[in-house]
Amino acid sequence: MRRLIEFIRSTYVVVLFVLLELTAISYYARASVYTEARLLARSNSLFGGLHALVTDVENFFGLGRENRALTSRIAALEEELARYREADRHAALRVELRTMGDMKYRMMEAAVVSNTTGRARNYITLNRGGADGVTNGMGVITPDGMIAGYVVDYTEHYAIAVSILNPIFRGSGTPEGTNYQGAIRWDGGNPHFVTLEGLSKYADPKVGQKIFTTGFESYFPEGLLIGTIESFVLDAVGTTYTVRVRLAADLSAMNNLIIIENSDLSEISDLQQSEVIKYLEDN
Amino acid sequence: MHRIPAYIILFLMLALIQIFLLNNLMAGAFFCPLIYVAFIILLPLDTPPIVMLGCALAMGVTMDTTMGIAGLNTAATLPIAFFRPNILGLLSAHDEHRDDGIPSPKRMGVNLFWSYLVAMILIHHTLFFVLEALSWGHVGRTLLRILCSGATTTLLAWLTARLFTNKYSTRK
Repeated sequence: MRRLIEFIRSTYVVVLFVLLELTAISYYARASVYTEARLLARSNSLFGGLHALVTDVENFFGLGRENRALTSRIAALEEELARYREADRHAALRVELRTMGDMKYRMMEAAVVSNTTGRARNYITLNRGGADGVTNGMGVITPDGMIAGYVVDYTEHYAIAVSILNPIFRGSGTPEGTNYQGAIRWDGGNPHFVTLEGLSKYADPKVGQKIFTTGFESYFPEGLLIGTIESFVLDAVGTTYTVRVRLAADLSAMNNLIIIENSDLSEISDLQQSEVIKYLEDN
Repeated sequence: MHRIPAYIILFLMLALIQIFLLNNLMAGAFFCPLIYVAFIILLPLDTPPIVMLGCALAMGVTMDTTMGIAGLNTAATLPIAFFRPNILGLLSAHDEHRDDGIPSPKRMGVNLFWSYLVAMILIHHTLFFVLEALSWGHVGRTLLRILCSGATTTLLAWLTARLFTNKYSTRK
């Protein structure tokens, strides 16, 4: 009996170490991106306040730059508004069309609480949550209209968005002036580039051509800037291009972002999961 | 026993620096210093193994929840806490360090202390970044991340060690 106790005394640390290590590794191996987002959201309710304080101080020193960016953005929007006013006068009859465009997307400003670009899977934490009307699947863009990510989890006052620099990010892009589109994916690596895959061989991409969102995945409206074409290769079969895209948004320098609310989001996802579609897929 | 408050302060300081400063540092993908390992490195040499494991677990779990990486920090921190006596044993062929007190250049000798620091950080960072990448697709990139981040962490850890041991070198 004493021998047994001695034995346990001499080995329990080893056993404990092996158990803990295995638990940690298996937890890590089984964790999905959503577990991680959930984890971040939870720790935010603990550290969120402190984070916000630090971010406030940081933001204070970035105010000048932010102001210049906002002013130029306002100028651009004013210009666009003037153009719409002009168009409005000419097309006063097409009221339904315009209100549809106006009502579908609503914007909400949010401050970045924390954001990474150097990890294998990157997330953006924002200071808006369920209390502000944030739900999963809302798009996140920079104030100058370039895509940054979309919301995957939220608590009452905070939201976690999958950054475009995350392998699970799903998006699609189309080269300017064409109707061809491909899937946007980040292959982990340089935080300034993403890949546009599966672009048709007829799309005829050019270096420097702009890539815009398609509006297909309902996180983002159509026509937001993603980036510009850096290089492209035709695949071995010769049917699709794989395009390297330089991101327009500098994801390492973001203080404020805009969350896009698509009022048709639930309607679209309901429709996509409807019984008819399920029936068609099963047969 | 009298060192416990000092170590609680060290734990909090390193955790706060990691969470609020280094995790938000945007110095490119290759510089991700993980200074929190300094806590494990600076634990007294006569710490019982079970306490070492407890400390590593506490630090690992804290970092996992705040970084949002489930289990990765814990998985990388536990081994260096567990194998610390073996690492020290390998490094010092003849027993030049005393088996108690806080690890410091004064107590262990400058050479031994530096190689101890580098070895611990290198093992930790290798585990961390290899587990994070989990693919052979970016071997060069992972290697570069280990080296750059490791070097930064080593410098920061050395500074931490200087500050920490200067304050407590008179007391034992």
